[in-house]
Amino acid sequence: MTKRIRSSTKNFRNTILYAFELVYLSNPILYLGISVMVFSSFWIFFNMLDQLLFFSPIVYFYIPDDAILGFIITNTSATLLAIVFSMNVYVIRNAKVRLDKSLLSGSLLGIVSSTCASCSSVGFLIISTFGGAGIIATGFLTNYQIPLKLLSIGILIWALYVVYNRITKSCMVNHDDNNKKERNKIN
Amino acid sequence: MNCRQYDNNVLQKAINAVIDNHHYHFLYSSHMASISSFSLAITMSLTFMFVFMEYNQDTILVALAQPKEDANNSSTNSQLSLSKLIGQGSPYYGNVSAPMVIADFSDFQCPQCKRHVDNTEQQINSTYLQTGKAIYVFKHLPVRGFDSKPASLAAQCTNDQGKFWEFNRILYKNQGPIDSGWTGAENLKKFASQLQGLDTNQFNSCFEGKKYESFIDKDVALANSLGFTETPSFMIMNADGSNPQRIEGPKPFPFFQDAIENLENGKES
Repeated sequence: MTKRIRSSTKNFRNTILYAFELVYLSNPILYLGISVMVFSSFWIFFNMLDQLLFFSPIVYFYIPDDAILGFIITNTSATLLAIVFSMNVYVIRNAKVRLDKSLLSGSLLGIVSSTCASCSSVGFLIISTFGGAGIIATGFLTNYQIPLKLLSIGILIWALYVVYNRITKSCMVNHDDNNKKERNKIN
Repeated sequence: MNCRQYDNNVLQKAINAVIDNHHYHFLYSSHMASISSFSLAITMSLTFMFVFMEYNQDTILVALAQPKEDANNSSTNSQLSLSKLIGQGSPYYGNVSAPMVIADFSDFQCPQCKRHVDNTEQQINSTYLQTGKAIYVFKHLPVRGFDSKPASLAAQCTNDQGKFWEFNRILYKNQGPIDSGWTGAENLKKFASQLQGLDTNQFNSCFEGKKYESFIDKDVALANSLGFTETPSFMIMNADGSNPQRIEGPKPFPFFQDAIENLENGKES
């Protein structure tokens, strides 16, 4: 039993590494570049929304005690987004498939939950526009900020799993279909 | 056949396809490259849009939310003068003859206000209040939830008996999720009962009679007239209300140092 678990873990690790190898070694400058750009963009974006990073009138970054957990979660989100995004670009460039929906929903949820809507000016705008309904909506986003961020990480992990499957199992070609097509071509 | 072998087959077929059809491959690659560039462009645009919004709230959000008066005009200055703020009954601590005033517009339900109290306010206290350089005045901005106003009403009632700042600390220490009931009437009375030497009957009659409702509404109106769109928000100015410097959001201590430096140098916000 232990042997089986060990070997399946090893297999999984090998295939994960294989997926990374396939993507990042195929064109290191492009995919690492995309990953760095996406990570930096979302890192700046999330930390600004969490009021940890400031650019004006002075550039300043700090992590108060109450923000440590949120900071760890947003870093995880940004890293996952960077990996999933570059892997999706690889899949798009190498196969006829669309961008994975879970990447979009995960990143959107991450952004929305990071806003601490009720305290930031965005929340103020929602409240002044929608009144009571705005208060309820922004209150919900503020109260459930951490669970929503964790949910967005869950969606991104799912997106990573989906894109990893697309990359490593792209070999599952339906030979019957291909044979039929070839026969049709010859005919 | 294992996965790698399959993949090599697919790769071989792809190479053949490229050799067979250069034109299609070129179009396909450029199409996909456009999609990925477009996605990246959206990500970058979103980032810059929020950066822009964050630092241009005065011109974007305030224009959408409510008309804003010029913070430097004479009517606002008179409203922000220390004598007027204290005369109105706003809670304060620090040296009454201090040359600078720090007005804090906060909501007891806002987690970012708690962040300010737990971090920055302590540094402000030790650097500017203990040294007699500034006085700290509290203004109510209970706009974050339905239960925010009762908390402000209770806090203002404790000010009648000189217990506002103790009550303020108790509220932030016990802060719960927005509108979860932690600022319900019973809880507020329980928090007030923790204050030593508080006349509970006087507090209850003040709180239940909503004695300070119009006072709090005036604080909210003042915050609106100053164009504040976040809690906590701050106005730092001279004791006569001149040269106000705005700070919005739970900014760290260096932002306060910067604003105070500007005030001392006579720079406008």
